[in-house]
Amino acid sequence: MRVPLGWLGEFVTVALAPEDLAERMTMHGLPVDRIVRPWEGLSGVVVARVLEVRDHPGADRLCVARVDAGSEEREVVVGVRNMGSGDLVPYAPPGATLPGVDAPLERREIRGVASEGMLCSPKELGISGDHDRILVLEDAADPGSDAAATIGLGEVVLDIEVLANRADLLSILGVAREVAAMTGEDLRLPGISASEAGPAPIGVTVEVADPDRCPRYLATVVRGVTAGSSPLRAQVRLTAAGMRPRWNVVDATNYAMLELGQPLHAFDLDRLAGPGIVVRRASPGERLVTLDDVERRLAEDDLVIADRERAVAVAGVIGGADTEVSEETRDILLEAAVFEPRGVFRTSRRLGLRTEASMRFDRGVDPEAVAEAAARATALLAEWAGGKGAGSVDVGEPPGRRTVAIRPERASALLGVELTASEVREALGRLRIPAREEAGGIVAEIPPYRVDVTREVDLVEEVGRSVGYGLVPSTLPGIRQAGGLSPEQRLRRRLADLLAGAGLWETYSFPFAADEDLPFVPGREPIRMANPISADDAGLQTSLLPGLLRAAQRNVAQRTTSVRLFEIAATFRAGHPDPVEEERVAALLTGPVGQEWPAERREHDVLDATGLVEHVVDGLGAAGMGLGEVPGPPWHPGRSAVVTIAGEPIGEVGELHPRVSRRFDLPGRVAAFELRVGPLVAAAGEAPRYRDISRFPPVHRDVAFVLDASVPAGDVRAALAEAGGDLLDRGVLFDVFEGAPLPQGKRSLAFSLDFRVPDRTLTDPEVEDRVRAIAERLRGEFGAELRAG
Amino acid sequence: MNDVQAMERLGEARGQGLAAIETASSLEELRAAEVAALGRRSPVAEVQRSLGTIDLADRPRIGREVNRVFEDLRAAVAARRVALEAEAEADVALTDRIDVTLPGRRPPPGGLHPLTSTMRAVVDAFISLGYRVSEGPELETEWYNFDALNFPPDHPARLTQDTLYPDVPGDLLLRTHTSPVQIRTMEAQEPPIYVVIPGRCFRRDTPDATHLPVFQQVEILAVDEGLSLADMKGTLEAWARAMFGPDQRVRIYPDYFPFVEPGAGLDVSCFLCGGRGCRVCGNGWIELLGAGMVHPALFENTGIDPERYSGFAAGLGIERVAMLLHGVPDIRMFYEGDVRFLSQLARSA
Ligand SMILES: [Zn+2]
Repeated sequence: MRVPLGWLGEFVTVALAPEDLAERMTMHGLPVDRIVRPWEGLSGVVVARVLEVRDHPGADRLCVARVDAGSEEREVVVGVRNMGSGDLVPYAPPGATLPGVDAPLERREIRGVASEGMLCSPKELGISGDHDRILVLEDAADPGSDAAATIGLGEVVLDIEVLANRADLLSILGVAREVAAMTGEDLRLPGISASEAGPAPIGVTVEVADPDRCPRYLATVVRGVTAGSSPLRAQVRLTAAGMRPRWNVVDATNYAMLELGQPLHAFDLDRLAGPGIVVRRASPGERLVTLDDVERRLAEDDLVIADRERAVAVAGVIGGADTEVSEETRDILLEAAVFEPRGVFRTSRRLGLRTEASMRFDRGVDPEAVAEAAARATALLAEWAGGKGAGSVDVGEPPGRRTVAIRPERASALLGVELTASEVREALGRLRIPAREEAGGIVAEIPPYRVDVTREVDLVEEVGRSVGYGLVPSTLPGIRQAGGLSPEQRLRRRLADLLAGAGLWETYSFPFAADEDLPFVPGREPIRMANPISADDAGLQTSLLPGLLRAAQRNVAQRTTSVRLFEIAATFRAGHPDPVEEERVAALLTGPVGQEWPAERREHDVLDATGLVEHVVDGLGAAGMGLGEVPGPPWHPGRSAVVTIAGEPIGEVGELHPRVSRRFDLPGRVAAFELRVGPLVAAAGEAPRYRDISRFPPVHRDVAFVLDASVPAGDVRAALAEAGGDLLDRGVLFDVFEGAPLPQGKRSLAFSLDFRVPDRTLTDPEVEDRVRAIAERLRGEFGAELRAG
Repeated sequence: MNDVQAMERLGEARGQGLAAIETASSLEELRAAEVAALGRRSPVAEVQRSLGTIDLADRPRIGREVNRVFEDLRAAVAARRVALEAEAEADVALTDRIDVTLPGRRPPPGGLHPLTSTMRAVVDAFISLGYRVSEGPELETEWYNFDALNFPPDHPARLTQDTLYPDVPGDLLLRTHTSPVQIRTMEAQEPPIYVVIPGRCFRRDTPDATHLPVFQQVEILAVDEGLSLADMKGTLEAWARAMFGPDQRVRIYPDYFPFVEPGAGLDVSCFLCGGRGCRVCGNGWIELLGAGMVHPALFENTGIDPERYSGFAAGLGIERVAMLLHGVPDIRMFYEGDVRFLSQLARSA
């Protein structure tokens, strides 16, 4: 809501500077987004009296005006000729700046006549779109005086963000009420009188078929209007308030709406068939061309204003083109009504049309102010367009006023400010909410425009606003619990810390996927969006890998070649019956292991990913991790595995299929993993237990086994560890060898073994026995031959 | 051996030994000289061994002379060693050097995302005030996201939420705020409740410099006997001081959200200019939180007695805090995964 301060000043005296007023209003619940000075770009324009207008010697369509600019006479070439001698006009001398003109004016020759500046049209002054005439001032002024001040272009405007529950603040009057409450100044109601309810005009009837959706409809007939410009001051105000001035009839309804908050609609009475008004639901398939020249198909839930034959307006939203007032209109039917807010909201949402009228109706207008608004508009039509009120028809009544009780002790307790009953009453009184003390509390009578106040807490807020939130002290509740993370929340944090500490950057990505990315993991059925924003978010990601791949792609494109990223976030997939939301952790490693000298030039591969999984699993204290079968797309069929914990699959690790890397323009191998966080964290161990650390020296043996190259090293390591039992302190695979002199299809796995127990030094025979046991186990299980000791 | 011979041998041994020690040019040579002069086969040791053949009367005198020669030689070795070691140490600067300004071998760099570290800082500040962490699903129902939070059906407020709906049976949506977790927590737990609620939320926004369809939010919910707006203000003031520094001030003013009444907005004094007013804040205050007293309708919807209990809630956007803290000009940068951006803002949290 844009509130011109000059206009506001008619309703309440404002002694504060605009900046101070804005600050006070913000603290009072009327947040001021910004202070606008619409005519900031205007300077140097003065009032001039036209002395003479004569033909331009060199051009038929131009004329030359001689004007008295106060201190001297000047001549300007003008393109129109609506001004005559004696008229006062805005004159922009060389050096002046205008909002509607880019550069400061200069003296120049126009077809052989020197023009010293220009006379200004309303458009050039930024008042309206009217560029067909020079603005002729209505009021007396001295030539040479500042034109901006004379016309009222010094206006300062507060742009107020009206909170969604405050219907009443969408008007100058509503804002003035709050400013009056805030400053203690009196509220004035200039030019607003009660309705001059004349006799019902002949032939005009109003029938409300759906009183729930239209509790009140007041139709006023105004006859004999003549189209023309509105007074300059009114045009300036409309512009300052953000509405474009058009002509007097339209301007009058808009002016009254901005002033009082009641939307008004003017029908051309001659174009209404009847002439009677019917307020009813739209019939199935009914259509209406609205005044924005769009044909609208109406639904049965839509309320329409109709004449005897057809719909002529969508109630509370927009009028119809056929019955719109035009500059030929003589007689008017002026509508001032109350429509049920939710119905207007539904229709406005369905039509995708939010208008000045609908945004007021869907919050709720003042049911008692209908007649005042109609009277105000009628008075303006009389003053600006010569119309004459010819009676009205009023159907329906405002509902009775609501009362709401408030307990002063409840208000004190919620606000944390001690308030007596009389303080509460006074606080409400400042907001023009009358309240009386009764047994057990205070009963307030809610003004009809405060549709938002329905229960005690609403009044508590009003009391708080009235005394000022600034009075609320700072206290701390006595919390009787220790704060902290749950064990599971701590582990999820540790997961991120482990990966960050291992030299990966955490990333965030959008969980949306375009159509072609949705089937990224074939086994996971994607969820599509019902109302996507664009093609990029057709559905929800079933995996974090596409987001990481895209981030890697961007980094590589920016010459960051060593890319190590991870993300922890929810992923989504269709389930039966319910969709499944699963938190996952994924990492991606590609390019050289290090980027700067003397970093490793080695490229990341699958073992970096498996190593990282082991690092994370160990770091969380989870046990029983294993690598299972090949997972299928998008993984590389020869370089990937399902990750298991205690035999249960929890995710995948490996390199992505070269086809996938190519699709994301990643030149080398792309190693990655993706695990479900839930089971990973659930597998995390208890606090670790101490085991004895031996003070005795280990007995060391290096052994190598030759076996089929297809036997997984992981299985061999596991069997070796098991067979080594409690004597084997450490068994490390240190060499893998294939090729001559070994036969085709065989390979050698070399292990470095340390035997050691906590309580004594092991003897050679003991160790030899155990090495033999290991060798037998590996021979039995894998056909492995012990090669060297 | 007689005493004269013995004295002669000792004299020679002393002279030769000292000469060899003093001319040793390396620690190795010194060790050899030491062995030659003081070892088991050295002339002095030989004299010592043959003391038995010397007249009883001369023995003490010769014995003393043996010890004296030993001591002199040992002292000479020690002195020479100190000298040689000093020489070697002086040398190491020339013989074993490297340009230490070559790049060090760092472990691969990595770190938490700035939104993670900012979120943790916010959450931890509330934890230190006694709060626990409550979480909930991102795929929510209309009931938890709107109805239970006192958004009436067909109310304009729903329009402003611009909600994303998945195409699945049922009334699911992508939550537009973390507030549904308020309802879930109040359903699951009896008061007193003091929880902080972090989480990812969604809005049907086209990305630009200040809007994203995805954002991180954090809320608090406190429900207990006798809580007031003053408790809310004090709590958020304590939080702001933990977050931004001990001189922080806060101010509250009326604001509107369907799930709180009275509703409040909360500004913190600008932590960039100390509240004097700057390009970022304008008037010294930064608009940071939406807050208020829990609306009684929420208590009614979750079976908590609104006459016995009252509560407050407050929420803020993490991206906005991170942008202010780090001076990030464009919100989209948080979601692009550019390592050049991430490494700038890395913090160990
Ligand atoms: Zn500042």
